Amino acid sequence: MTMPDPVERYLDEFLRARARPLLLTFDANWQLVDVHGDTSIRGLDADGPHTLVQQLQDLFLGLPCDQPQDLPFVELAGGIHAHVHLIPESDRFHLLLLDASDEHARTQVQQQLGNDATLAVFEKTRSLARLRQIRNELEQQRARLEEANALKNALFATLSHEFRTPLTSIFGYLHLLERYGESARDQALSALRRNASYLFALAENLLEYGRSEAGETLLTPTVLDLSVLVTDLEAMFCPLAAEKRLELSVEAGPVPPSDALFDVVKLRQIAINLLSNALRYTPAGYVCVYLGWERDRLRIEVRDSGLGIDAEYQAKVFKPFNRGAQHGACSAGLGLSIVKRLVERMSGLIELESTPGKGSAFRVALPPLVAAGPPQVAPVVPEGSHRSFSSALVVDDDPDVAALLEVLLGDFGMRARIATNVAEAIAMVAAEVPDLVLVDVELPGLSGNAAVYQLRSQGYKGRIVTVSANATESARSAAITAGADHYLTKPLDFVQFARVVQGFAAVT
Amino acid sequence: MSDFARKVCMLGDFGVGKTSLVARYVRNTFSDKYLTTVGVKVDSRSVALSDEVNLKLVIWDIAGKAALDSVNKNYLRGASGLILVADGTREPSLRAALDLALQAREVVASPACVLFVNKLDMVDRWEVAPAVLGEIRRSLAVFETSALSGDGVEAGFIELARKLAP
Repeated sequence: MTMPDPVERYLDEFLRARARPLLLTFDANWQLVDVHGDTSIRGLDADGPHTLVQQLQDLFLGLPCDQPQDLPFVELAGGIHAHVHLIPESDRFHLLLLDASDEHARTQVQQQLGNDATLAVFEKTRSLARLRQIRNELEQQRARLEEANALKNALFATLSHEFRTPLTSIFGYLHLLERYGESARDQALSALRRNASYLFALAENLLEYGRSEAGETLLTPTVLDLSVLVTDLEAMFCPLAAEKRLELSVEAGPVPPSDALFDVVKLRQIAINLLSNALRYTPAGYVCVYLGWERDRLRIEVRDSGLGIDAEYQAKVFKPFNRGAQHGACSAGLGLSIVKRLVERMSGLIELESTPGKGSAFRVALPPLVAAGPPQVAPVVPEGSHRSFSSALVVDDDPDVAALLEVLLGDFGMRARIATNVAEAIAMVAAEVPDLVLVDVELPGLSGNAAVYQLRSQGYKGRIVTVSANATESARSAAITAGADHYLTKPLDFVQFARVVQGFAAVT
Repeated sequence: MSDFARKVCMLGDFGVGKTSLVARYVRNTFSDKYLTTVGVKVDSRSVALSDEVNLKLVIWDIAGKAALDSVNKNYLRGASGLILVADGTREPSLRAALDLALQAREVVASPACVLFVNKLDMVDRWEVAPAVLGEIRRSLAVFETSALSGDGVEAGFIELARKLAP
């Protein structure tokens, strides 16, 4: 459609003035042949064509020059924006540059507003989600506090009853001894022994409960002498069984291999609690105990012909202060909860099979532990793993702290290397994978959490402990989310530090 | 010395830091002001792959989008490599980057690819879990980067240059 001449002329002038076209003609080898149009706006006057030609060559790298091309909004040298068109013509081609600076500026403003709005919505959504999470955490914390308060009340109620009952009995029999002397001796001593044993067990369980609550249950792997344990259990419980006219058998099965280590003290505590529980709730019949090494586990089974436990209460017997869960319960309700905690702490399993009126069977299976450092015998690694725990990387820019940690780790028989920033740490782990990485969060440049994140995303499977002066929950959470196993705060509590490192070594 | 050049395109959602990564790599500069890219900006930097081989990376910084439109597909023509860019603080941008890689294959056959997960300096706010990147790493070279500090940037570009070596 041809318009009237004045309009055609007007359009031509108007569009040319707006687009300020610049035409560069090249031969097939990108040699500039001709230039038409406004050269001043492309910087050609100042720098000559070299920079622009180089830029255009880069722009059309990999693209055929014998086909029309249209590349809108190309940023050229000097921040100028142009629509670039390639127009082929026999053995040469033209590059037509149309000024797009104003259009670019307008589009950018619109685009920027849109993108900023989208990002703001994203941030708002995230903030709301975070607030919801904080509210949930607070509600959970409140629930935990309420539960803790209820447990505390249950503990006081239990203690007042559980301590008073045997103490009443003890005082009563002491009175009998004082009054009747020799004639009451046997009966009184038996009652005194029984009640004192009960008080001792109660005190032990309370201490263990307190340690568990404080997260202080450490494992000490040592060699288990099964025959000694069996003999001790018999000596400890035979009098009580005889008194109740119960048949008690304690049987030893195959002995664990010498390199299978256990925390013998806690093992004994498990057996004692199971056995005293069985004797307490068995009015007549038998209590049978078996301890032996089967299928790479130490098996403990305690069977009785006692009162049994209703199915609905079977899960409750493992909760602390569960008085009433068992028929005719008259204990503190701590023993089985401690057994379960200890078994789980040792990565074992506990099963309960019970029929009300016929009796119960508790079965425990415990894998061996790993030795806790150089003084122990060779470590036993569970589940087919073959990791040792002997090397560490300390990532800290403070040379004094790094040297101190190196010495402390040396006390655990660990050889430590030192990195002072994130990049160095990543490179050192890539060169030689350590068993443990200790990372200070406050490093120069990227934070220690960035190192932890990268190590985990690159597949590092060893232990990572993050150390920081920031004692807030959010800082701890950030470190754990990045992939740390533990978060310790400065100033470093060396006892806690030792406990963490020992814990890794013991239960790797 | 043999010199050759390869076109590589930065692909990723808006605001993930593509322009900042190019600025850090080509000019060693950084600005914390977000200015959205409209269209394309082409920069270049040479990498000495060996004493004999010099590779010029011609880097196309393309306007960020979660999906490729016809204009962006046009920009991709002739590319040999792709740098997929995600923002670690925005998990959806990682999915967008991986989706863009799939869409780009309609235009570019078998491109060399690396993934930059940017804003490592804000790792405490990252939504992408380390295990997720560990899984992606099985099939794609992944670099946690910070255009602000420069960490991971040089290594990522060099890895792509190696993949583009003749």
